[in-house]
Amino acid sequence: MNLSLIDPFVLAQDYPDTLTEKLRSGHATCLRFNQTGDYLASGRADGTVVIFDIETNGVARKLQGHTRQIQSLSWSRDGRYLLTSSQDWKCILWDLEDGSRVRTVRFEAPVYIAELHPFNHLLFVASLFEDQPVLVDVSSPKPVKRTLPSAPLRPQPTNGEEVDPAVAAKQAAQDAKHSTCVTIFTAFGNHIIAGTSKGWINIIETETCMTIHSMRLCNGVVILARLANNGRDLLVNSSDRVIRTVLMPDLSQLGIDFEPSAIKLQVEHKFQDVVNRLSWNHVTFSSTGEFVTATTFMNPDIYVWERSHGSLVKILEGPREELGVVEWHPSRPMVVACGLESGCLYTWSIVSPQKWSALAPDFGEVEENVEYVEREDEFDIHPAEQVHQRRLDLEDEEPDVVTLDHAENVVGAEQAGAFGLPVLLDISDSESGEDIIAVGPGTMRRRTPGAGANGDTDKDSRAGANGVARGAGRNRRR
Amino acid sequence: MDSARPRTRTRDARAQSPVESSSDELAAGSNHQDTERRRASWTAQKNFTPQRPNHQERLYRESDSPDELAVDADEYWRSSRSRRSPSPINRPADSSSNEQSHGESDALSEDRMHNGDETDVPMHDNMSDRSPTPVPSVEAPHKPERLNYKEKFVLRGHLRSVSAVQFSPDCSMIASGGADAAIKVWDTLTGQLIYTFEGHLAGISTLAWSPDGQWIASGSDDKTIRFWNVNTGRAHTKTFEGHHNYVYQIAFAPKGNILVSGSYDEAVFIWDVRRARVMRSLPAHSDPVAGIDVVHDGTLIVSCALDGLVRVWDTHSGQCLRTLVHEDNPPATCVKFSPNGKYILAWTLDGCVRMWNYVESRVIKTFQGHVNKKYSLSGCFGYYGPSDVKHNPPLAFAVSGSEDGAILCWDIVSKKILQRIEGHTDVVVGVHTGKLKHGTRMLVSCGLDKTVRVWEEARESQCQDGVP
Repeated sequence: MNLSLIDPFVLAQDYPDTLTEKLRSGHATCLRFNQTGDYLASGRADGTVVIFDIETNGVARKLQGHTRQIQSLSWSRDGRYLLTSSQDWKCILWDLEDGSRVRTVRFEAPVYIAELHPFNHLLFVASLFEDQPVLVDVSSPKPVKRTLPSAPLRPQPTNGEEVDPAVAAKQAAQDAKHSTCVTIFTAFGNHIIAGTSKGWINIIETETCMTIHSMRLCNGVVILARLANNGRDLLVNSSDRVIRTVLMPDLSQLGIDFEPSAIKLQVEHKFQDVVNRLSWNHVTFSSTGEFVTATTFMNPDIYVWERSHGSLVKILEGPREELGVVEWHPSRPMVVACGLESGCLYTWSIVSPQKWSALAPDFGEVEENVEYVEREDEFDIHPAEQVHQRRLDLEDEEPDVVTLDHAENVVGAEQAGAFGLPVLLDISDSESGEDIIAVGPGTMRRRTPGAGANGDTDKDSRAGANGVARGAGRNRRR
Repeated sequence: MDSARPRTRTRDARAQSPVESSSDELAAGSNHQDTERRRASWTAQKNFTPQRPNHQERLYRESDSPDELAVDADEYWRSSRSRRSPSPINRPADSSSNEQSHGESDALSEDRMHNGDETDVPMHDNMSDRSPTPVPSVEAPHKPERLNYKEKFVLRGHLRSVSAVQFSPDCSMIASGGADAAIKVWDTLTGQLIYTFEGHLAGISTLAWSPDGQWIASGSDDKTIRFWNVNTGRAHTKTFEGHHNYVYQIAFAPKGNILVSGSYDEAVFIWDVRRARVMRSLPAHSDPVAGIDVVHDGTLIVSCALDGLVRVWDTHSGQCLRTLVHEDNPPATCVKFSPNGKYILAWTLDGCVRMWNYVESRVIKTFQGHVNKKYSLSGCFGYYGPSDVKHNPPLAFAVSGSEDGAILCWDIVSKKILQRIEGHTDVVVGVHTGKLKHGTRMLVSCGLDKTVRVWEEARESQCQDGVP
């Protein structure tokens, strides 16, 4: 509703420039905005998941269930469910209505990244450490896991042609070296995009779990892949210190007038720092896909490139520490990144100056002097009642006070039927990292299990945090 | 008996700073003048004579200039012809006495319509929506001429004046608060008292239901806002403290995570509900902030104060985006966004309720007929007409209490009084509308006669009893 009143010049700026907020709840290691952008989930090093309310910058919910660092977070489309994966070899699907666990899925290895299907919150894909990725269906309490292939698709031998056993054996050996590091769903969830340790991108059909296309993108390990909101632009971060944007074909057309053999992935841009040879910790698209943002290894800067020309437009600075995960707000020009050392969340956004003419309706802001032209009847004196009556007579519009403008804001319209996170008034606020104690410079230790497990002790530890934190820390260290 | 609420209300009026409080001075922004004026307004409390500035020179404001409005009207008239659409109802369904009473003017208007518009289907023409002409307005025949709210319950229980009343979001309960510092929760269907919440140390001026219907927030003259849980019947452990003076009006943001409060300390506070902490304090006004509301999507806040200014704020950045002021600068006591958030309804102590188009900064409707000189009355929007018939624009009314004990409902488009509900024996301070699950529309009102009254809309069939 506020768009009609905001300075268009402020609205036109589409990337942030100022460090505005610093949020803290424990040591955050990963972040994710929900679809509408009003909540930010952050996973902590101690396994707690904290959901921040972006409007108030307060903690909206805390989810406790993991025992080790959170690796990834994934929201369902309606914002009601959250899938978390952790180094404790588990994935948990949370229902944010009441904070309960819908499903807990155990794996044989630590989980890199788990992502929910865009429309079905009971289906997710997970890439595992030194193991094959799996597609997990949790619609029944007993999860059904289907292994996805990591090996790239080989050209199929034509019928009748004998395959040389030696070649086949060599290929099999090569294929075995592939392991998948990243798996994400495409926009409609019909396909899975997988990135392998050898720099290949595989496109796997969700229904059949078969690879339908493979492409060698780079030499390094694919660390992260992200789809833009339009579902057609793929962002890939790999260990060869190059960030690539890839144009995807419309996979929803497959089978209609588009054959898997015709799939072609085309690299659009390569972003890299050729001078410093920086490698990138984490990359993300902006809300519109117009910008690409990356945090840098051993460096406190965030790089922002724009995609039309592939040029660097901004380096966001502020904190003095190296930044890990960076996320872009789904509708606003706002970037959140978490510090690797302190685990704080830093927010960059736009600060617009107050227009003083908004405070004084009789004044306007002009660029240069304007000569005032007096109207003919401006100082005519009319009886007050007459003026009043004339004004009343002129009020002959037919205002519609009810109907909503749905076109004005797509996110808002979608929100109407969406899930609303309940507002908990008794949530414990934890600005101190109550579960992690700094033992020395750069080294942390978990607080003894049990302490800080429930809300009450949380609150106590917070109360004491300011005054006796040092003393308490020493006691515990002893 | 000088109960807390009326005392507050009277003070409102007296706090009106006489001639000095023009917005021009505010714009000049000199701190000295500001404090001078504030002092003047506070000393003026002692012996207040109702005196209103009459700024004739403010006529040059272009937004209010009659010429511009005239142009708008013409334009509107032209565009409305193309906008007219056949109504879905059948002709026989419409042949009520109501229509017949207007038969003559209808025929007349039909003729006029045909001259300007050849594409229209004559059969449907009679039912189509018509904009009122600048000259005597012609009502669309099927549009109900009046409302028919009948008294359902008189809820007695408050020991002193009742200053605020609100339906719960699902309309199943009514919360009322008053000068006796108690909040009472009533059942809408039976009129029974469910809870009495006591804890405030002074009279309650305002209350608000949280959007999920679990909590009632109340603002009091003891400078605090308290939360009460309707499910458990207990008070929230945290008190919202921070205001330096009486809390005057509060409103929830639609998600329930933010509460906005206006206070006698001239500030607007934005609270983080979860932490019970002030998130942001807006340096809003130079007089007590009497009214506050949040738009349906939560992005805008509107506040009004006794300095006569209505300000629109951005919730996220806390910046003032618009200031609305009527040229006579009467103290503004209550503001409400329209259901779609495009307009603002503002109550002022010159006995008018004005509807503003805040984007264009102009008044588009002025509702009159009630008495409002002293108390900060409040009201809201409501819907009327059969729900199965679509109107363009949808039928809506504005409702307000009055100092003569009546409740007035105005049609938004025609500004006509649809119903004047009599029953209260003293000033009606608060009115709220609601709709029960099965579709019955309800009104609830409260006032200085210590009662809360529930009104129920009688069925449409009973409505059509002709024009008296």
